[in-house]
Amino acid sequence: MKIGDHIQNLGLRVGVIQGLAFLLLALLGARLYYLQIIKGGYYSDRAESQRVRLIPIPAPRGAIFDRNGKLLVDSRPTYNVVLSNEPLKSVNVNDRVDDYSHGLTMDRQFVVERLNLIKQQNEFEAMVLKENADMRDIAWVESHSLEFPELRVELQPQRHYPLGTTLAHVLGYVGEISPSQLESDEFRDKGFRPGDVIGKGGLEQYYDEYLRGKPGYRKVLVDSRGRVQSELAVVPPQSGQDLVTTIDLDLQNEAEHQLATSVTKRGTIIAMDPNNGEVLAMASAPSFDPNIFVRGSSTQEGRAQIAAYWQDEKRPLYNRAIQGRYPPGSTWKIPESVAALQQGAITIQHSSLACGGGLQVGNKFIRCMGNHGSPALTPAIIHSCDGYYYRLGLKMSIEGIIKMVETFGYDHRSGIDLPNEKVPQTPKTWMPYILKHEGKWNDIRTAMAAIGQDTVVVTPISMLRAVASVGMRGKEYVPHFLKEFKPIGAVGEEGDVTYIPPRAGFSYQHPEPKLIELESDQWDMIIKGMWGVVNAGGTAGAIRMPNLEIAGKTGTAQVTEVGKDSGKNKDHSWFVSFAPAYKPDISVIALIENSGFGASNAAPAARAMYETYLAKRPAQPGQQEVAAK
Amino acid sequence: MVAIIEKRDLRDFDWLTALLAVAIAAFGVWQIHNALPTESYWSKQIIGIGIAFVAFLVIAFNDYRRIIDAAPFFYVAGLILLLLVITPLGVTVNGQKAWLKLPLIGQFQPSEFVKIPTVLMLAKYYGGRKAGSLSLKEMLIGGAIFAAPVGLIMLEPDAGQAITYMPILAAMFFLSGIRIRYVVLAIIAAAIMVPAGWYVGVKTGKIKRYQQERILAVTNPDEVDPRGYGYHTIQSTITVGKGGLAGNMGDTETSQSVLKFLPEPHTDFIFAVTAENTGFIGCVSLLLAYALLLSRMIAGARQSSDRAGMLVIMAIVCGMIFQIFMNVGMALGVLPVIGVPLPLMSAGLSAILSTFVAIGFVISVRLRRFVN
Repeated sequence: MKIGDHIQNLGLRVGVIQGLAFLLLALLGARLYYLQIIKGGYYSDRAESQRVRLIPIPAPRGAIFDRNGKLLVDSRPTYNVVLSNEPLKSVNVNDRVDDYSHGLTMDRQFVVERLNLIKQQNEFEAMVLKENADMRDIAWVESHSLEFPELRVELQPQRHYPLGTTLAHVLGYVGEISPSQLESDEFRDKGFRPGDVIGKGGLEQYYDEYLRGKPGYRKVLVDSRGRVQSELAVVPPQSGQDLVTTIDLDLQNEAEHQLATSVTKRGTIIAMDPNNGEVLAMASAPSFDPNIFVRGSSTQEGRAQIAAYWQDEKRPLYNRAIQGRYPPGSTWKIPESVAALQQGAITIQHSSLACGGGLQVGNKFIRCMGNHGSPALTPAIIHSCDGYYYRLGLKMSIEGIIKMVETFGYDHRSGIDLPNEKVPQTPKTWMPYILKHEGKWNDIRTAMAAIGQDTVVVTPISMLRAVASVGMRGKEYVPHFLKEFKPIGAVGEEGDVTYIPPRAGFSYQHPEPKLIELESDQWDMIIKGMWGVVNAGGTAGAIRMPNLEIAGKTGTAQVTEVGKDSGKNKDHSWFVSFAPAYKPDISVIALIENSGFGASNAAPAARAMYETYLAKRPAQPGQQEVAAK
Repeated sequence: MVAIIEKRDLRDFDWLTALLAVAIAAFGVWQIHNALPTESYWSKQIIGIGIAFVAFLVIAFNDYRRIIDAAPFFYVAGLILLLLVITPLGVTVNGQKAWLKLPLIGQFQPSEFVKIPTVLMLAKYYGGRKAGSLSLKEMLIGGAIFAAPVGLIMLEPDAGQAITYMPILAAMFFLSGIRIRYVVLAIIAAAIMVPAGWYVGVKTGKIKRYQQERILAVTNPDEVDPRGYGYHTIQSTITVGKGGLAGNMGDTETSQSVLKFLPEPHTDFIFAVTAENTGFIGCVSLLLAYALLLSRMIAGARQSSDRAGMLVIMAIVCGMIFQIFMNVGMALGVLPVIGVPLPLMSAGLSAILSTFVAIGFVISVRLRRFVN
């Protein structure tokens, strides 16, 4: 028709339409250039991040053994029902509460807590909903996979404590990291996620970083509803390192047995090798079952049990060996004797002080248990003469006693490899307080401090460490449980991004022992006194053993004033010792709470420990003679 | 039919346009396969293209003028089909009653086909007019012809499909000599009315919440309910961007559509699938193919031996460019999500058939450029 022939600029109008068409296509091309060329990398990453998920594979924790390779703690496989975050984003989680609690027979309240937690932590992939799932739970999850694509079952190692309450305070337990821990400086920058299991208390906590393995992960492809389509890669986890402790399980069992059969069933027994500080046994009663913390936190009964532990007046969760602070009573006389000789308050030649059946201090008379005349140091120890030590304390003055506190390290922690150790309280810590409130330090306080009462409360571990150092003639070692950590192999190929390097094994790095200076015959004087306590008709003569010469000291620590000391206010019974007396291989402390005389309660418990020790290790010839001098 | 194909017809036949259309459709089959490799949409599409191609040949080798003469018949038939959709014979898909299920023929979407009778009817009306500017009366009559099918489609309701009719009327008016000042006036009116209508609509609640969100999702998909209405826009944009320069050539493992992140990948979002699989190179090639096809068609319009033929071609061209822009703009996240198929690419028998029939008319017009 030849459009140009017409009026109305038809040719031009068609041209306008064509131009417009090209313009629109060019605009689309420009937008394509922006999306695909300029922002291509960004969208590619975004697409990847929405289709690729990392599902962590938990690493088994290292096992814990005693010094002879007996198993103390391990991990066993359990099935957990895991809740995935991504598919939950598009549903109202409140609709799921009844389904989950009914289908998995779970406490409704706990399901609500879990769902709230995963909602708050929405940058993380998954979280355990139910631990220890049984076959019924697994079947329920599998059969509802279309309805609840957010649930899946995973095999996970769970901590297992085959010994139950035995050694519980030392081992500690594991549990999920708490929200407040996640925020804390200690954990914040270490890549922890909610739901991670960490050591809580005991060796589990102290050596967590070695016991804990490095988790692996499964890299999977998911669809828009979060359902796993295929597995892209598996990075296996690296197990934690196995810990060999210094514990001797036979001695430990004996210690537990002694406490369990004691009068009040409350107290602590520690056995240590004085030559290096290796702790052979540490029992604290009453105890708890760590398995309840591991398994029970998700069930109502378990939670009730945990709450009961926390509320129990007998404080089963508290490790009396390192957290209990008791007046040391007469056991305090041993370090005090060392300090008195060191400071020159007495000498080998002139160590006699009057007993006097007690001492008049101001308007108050403080008694001695008997009348010992004017004993020298050795008999004063053997008979635990309070009168002697009242006078010795006053002679040393409170400054001398404070110096002794420093000499034996009662003013700081023993350095044992357990968390939450308490520091003893001594006149050193009390001095500023007393001066502030009473204006001056009374002599009566000095005299009472000299027999380990009033302003003195110490932890059993600090007392054991000090007395063991006497047996070692001045070498004070740091008590510890670590014997060695076993090495663990590398995971993956070196150079890979997922490569996890091997972890080297290592053993305990012994710090240099603290040296307490004293002449050899001065040591003899004190050790002879301790030997006499058991072997020369002293306060613990009843526990004398024919084939092992124990050097020890009893203590009867007053909980309240004389006259009210019965029932739950009964005195604490102490016995601290080492053997053989002149070349010790083992040092034992026993404390039975509110049981009365040290000689009649703690000392027999300690003797039982020595018997077990001897039964394991036949007596070596030649020791008898050494002891005889 | 073979009898009427003369030697001259074969010589003058626009091979390039036909080839382009078939090539784009074949490319579309590949993308439909990429979108959902385990489904049978791609094989159904091949059958659809086969049927469409036969229809295309029939139309191309028939004299379009005879068909335009019969336009009132097709037009009325089309209106009856649209009426049937609203009756219980209509089938509801995705909340829209846009489909019709008839015995023997099966299920189809009349609103796709009625475009052609509407174009023919308008071309018949405006093709007969003399030179000179469009009068008000002519505009009203044309408007009425147009309003009948569009009104019925709005009743379905299928606003997306109704919008694709708009360029037909615009092309008819523009090329029938509407005064430029009316065009300018219409553009100014739209510039004022659209924002004003939006404001009033939102205030009075006439524009429903979900409709608002579809629009707002384009400006900021991450803010406006990324799990709801923004989701389609976000996922389509991600899919397109992921393609990069060369695409990932049918890698189904990471495919946005196979993993079900991209909704409606074989129909509305076929362009996003194309972008993911063939990248910038593939997309620009496709847009260039469309540009070439449209240019060929426009060239045919310029050579048309009569006004009606020219109007038919240009209405089809305008309809196609509009659909391409709406669909690709939606896939690229610059236009709201409206279910407009991409011509020749989107899976669906109705769409491919009507597009090939339309191109058949273009060829028919061009074939008879020397006949007078």
